[in-house]
Amino acid sequence: MTGDTPILHVIARFAVPFTVLVALRIFFQGHDLPGGGFVAGVLFAAAGAMAFLAFGLGRAASVAWWRISVLGLLVSVSTGMAPWLRGHAYLDHTILHLGAFHLPSATFFDLGVAMIVFGTLMTIFVELAQERR
Amino acid sequence: MLDPGSLIGFSILSPFAAAAGALLLGRMLALGSGWLVVAGAVSSTACLAALALSPSVGGVSVPWIPSLGVAIALRADGFGLFFALLVSAMGVLVALYSLAYLGAADADRARRYYASLGVFMGSMIGIALADDLILLFVFWEMTSISSFLLIGHRFEEDDTKRGAAMALQVTALGGLVMSVGFLLIGQVTGTFSLSALASDPAHARALLASPLGACALLCVLCGACTKSAQVPFHFWLPQAMVAPTPISAYLHAATMVKAGVFLVGRMVPLFADSPLWFPLLAGIGGVSMVLGAYQATRETDLKAILARTTGSTLGMLFMLYGIGNASQDALGMLNHALYKGALFLVAGIVDHHAHTRDIRKLGGLRHALPVPFAVAALAAASMAGLPPLLGFVAKESLFEGLMHAPLLAAHPVARVLVLLATLVTGALLVATAWRFVAEVFLGSPRDAAKHSGSGAGALSIAPLVLAAGALGLGLATPSGLTARIGELGSSRPEPLHLALVPHLGWPLAASVAALLLGVLAYRGREALAAWGRRLAVLPPAARVWQSALDAVMALGDAYSRRWENGSLRWYLAATSLCVPLLVGYALARLGLSYRAIGVTLQDLSPYGALFCGLIVLAAIAATRATTRLAAAIASSAVGFLVAMVYVVYRSPDILLTQILIETVSTIFMLLLLVHLPRFPRRDLGRGAQLLNAGIAASVGLTVSVLLLLAMTPGLRETDNLATRPGGLLSLALAEGGGTNAVNVIIVDIRALDTNGEIMVLVAVGLCIFGLLRTRRRAA
Repeated sequence: MTGDTPILHVIARFAVPFTVLVALRIFFQGHDLPGGGFVAGVLFAAAGAMAFLAFGLGRAASVAWWRISVLGLLVSVSTGMAPWLRGHAYLDHTILHLGAFHLPSATFFDLGVAMIVFGTLMTIFVELAQERR
Repeated sequence: MLDPGSLIGFSILSPFAAAAGALLLGRMLALGSGWLVVAGAVSSTACLAALALSPSVGGVSVPWIPSLGVAIALRADGFGLFFALLVSAMGVLVALYSLAYLGAADADRARRYYASLGVFMGSMIGIALADDLILLFVFWEMTSISSFLLIGHRFEEDDTKRGAAMALQVTALGGLVMSVGFLLIGQVTGTFSLSALASDPAHARALLASPLGACALLCVLCGACTKSAQVPFHFWLPQAMVAPTPISAYLHAATMVKAGVFLVGRMVPLFADSPLWFPLLAGIGGVSMVLGAYQATRETDLKAILARTTGSTLGMLFMLYGIGNASQDALGMLNHALYKGALFLVAGIVDHHAHTRDIRKLGGLRHALPVPFAVAALAAASMAGLPPLLGFVAKESLFEGLMHAPLLAAHPVARVLVLLATLVTGALLVATAWRFVAEVFLGSPRDAAKHSGSGAGALSIAPLVLAAGALGLGLATPSGLTARIGELGSSRPEPLHLALVPHLGWPLAASVAALLLGVLAYRGREALAAWGRRLAVLPPAARVWQSALDAVMALGDAYSRRWENGSLRWYLAATSLCVPLLVGYALARLGLSYRAIGVTLQDLSPYGALFCGLIVLAAIAATRATTRLAAAIASSAVGFLVAMVYVVYRSPDILLTQILIETVSTIFMLLLLVHLPRFPRRDLGRGAQLLNAGIAASVGLTVSVLLLLAMTPGLRETDNLATRPGGLLSLALAEGGGTNAVNVIIVDIRALDTNGEIMVLVAVGLCIFGLLRTRRRAA
């Protein structure tokens, strides 16, 4: 993959970390403001793609990105199964109260969604980028 | 002492446990995995024997799918218990025989063999004891699959592959049809419980009254006929003789092929009054009986000979059910299992010794294999119906029953036909039994027998036990033990009158006639074969089946070539065409059309109009582009302009998603550009262009109408689903603890939908990874 231009380098150096921060913000505000796991996952993947375009695939080519999506599925499904411990139905979410801080258990489910979206998109990016003509 | 419920559970679970043990520990244990299965079979035989000795009928039921009335219900009534005991006791013998037969085969192969054997045994006992039709079906299919693995044990050989595949195709197809029959029974009667169906005559009446009842009977019979290798599905059994011999003895003589007979026995209380019952069962059974016995005289492979006679005897059992003589079924099954099991196992010994099963190359083995010779003589005598063996007692009882069959008394023509068919079959079985003994063991040794391998050794034990059983039960007739077993194990327990010393009368005359005719048939076997060749007008059933399969394959091939040809343009056109069709159908169902649109141009904001105009321009640019890169940029522009429309209408959620998705798809397009063919393509004819234009126009129109309808206020009552009190907005806050209703819907209120979607997403990622990786690795 080519993209070896100074302009792209300079922009990516700032834009990639910034995108990651925005993605984190978007993930955590998702429950109350626009955002959420899906969008955050896409944004993470966009940051990753930007880094590849600017600096090349490098070691990312040998990372098994699909493992992240499988792990995400595990996170989501086990969040769904947690209510079974209390005799509730699958995916019957609750809200955890940690002092003044409220954490809906749906957040973990959302985390799984984000990981899956990120992992799947990265898999496709990395695999397509390695295709020869 | 355990309660009956646990005994039933243990009897089914112990072979499965042995199978699991063999699978997991097989590499370490080597031959030990065989002993595991022996132990499993012994423990399940012990449980079943304890059940048989207990006075009450044991049962256990655990809810499985309560909303559909399906339960894991097991019940040990006489018939089921008899069949289960037959399976487990034969299982012990066959597993013991296998230990010597497989010998020092490699551990991995033995592991697979014994694991499949254990699964098969457990599923067969499950069929015998299941009290729920759905559970019975599950066990039924498990026997089909495990028998496929067992038949295909020597999977490197082409013959084996073909035979195992054919057995699976036929029995699995029949099993599926049978499941439809079970569902129909459940539909008509409202229950899947076999004991409930059998005990309440109202269910049988309901099935008789409903047209679905006849369909159910046909479907269930189809399952039974495929499993028991009855006409017209009789061809798979000889092909399945590629299995290791103990497997043939177990599956194709003693147990699995009897599952069809067993199923018919279970259906007697339900369908015996149906007008189809007598002609179908007596017809199928009678034809299979005569055809199998005749074909056996023409085969040259020892095991194929036995397989054909098995089909014949199973046909006889089908016929017994058809003519209303169900009370003899257990006696018939037991008799057949004993002598046919012994003969199969002897065939295995002969094969081991002489390295051939071709009867034309065998002869004079009585000196080399004295014990198998004695066993074969006894078993063949039982098959021919000679006193004092069980075969004689059973045959006398069979003829006696035919004379007094209630259904036959009303049909004189059918009665003559059935009697003649039974006589001819008896004679042909005598001829085959004599041929088996005479051409393998008597006479002078031929080439193959001279340079022979090992003696029989431990292999003789299991067939010896079986032959001794046939002799012992025959001799025990006067004590009443044999009749007692036959009565207790029958699907319709009625007193059986068995006698070792026959009275002078028609049954004895028929036996003697069969014997004499059999000798004649053996003498004139060449003339008989020539005669048969002249009579054969139909093509061989196996070939018909193969051409039917080939036709299905050809159909699939033609379909793929026409509709799944890899042309992306064609896929896109077909997929797009679904939009106007499906949306149009939905709108028509709701009674909506463009006339209901309540949006006017005044509702359009100036910014909205501006962006819409730009979208149109970008779309036109995309279609006019001369390079693919330009087209990609133009269509990306469309996407980002749509995002701007969301800005105008203040929907930040969709805006965010749209922009990100558009970004990601642009990256995808860039990655893919280099792999795509030359652009623009100008190879479409005038007609195809018009067709594509038509599809595009109809998609555009449909989506426009749909969107305008969606914006029309007050059209549907779901309009204020979100904002009304108790609507989604308040629900999101109360239930999900969030104010962003969109996200709360995704992760909480409709989380199960999301759960499905993320699974699809993971699967897609893995598929793309797998496809691209393997292709790159291959290149």
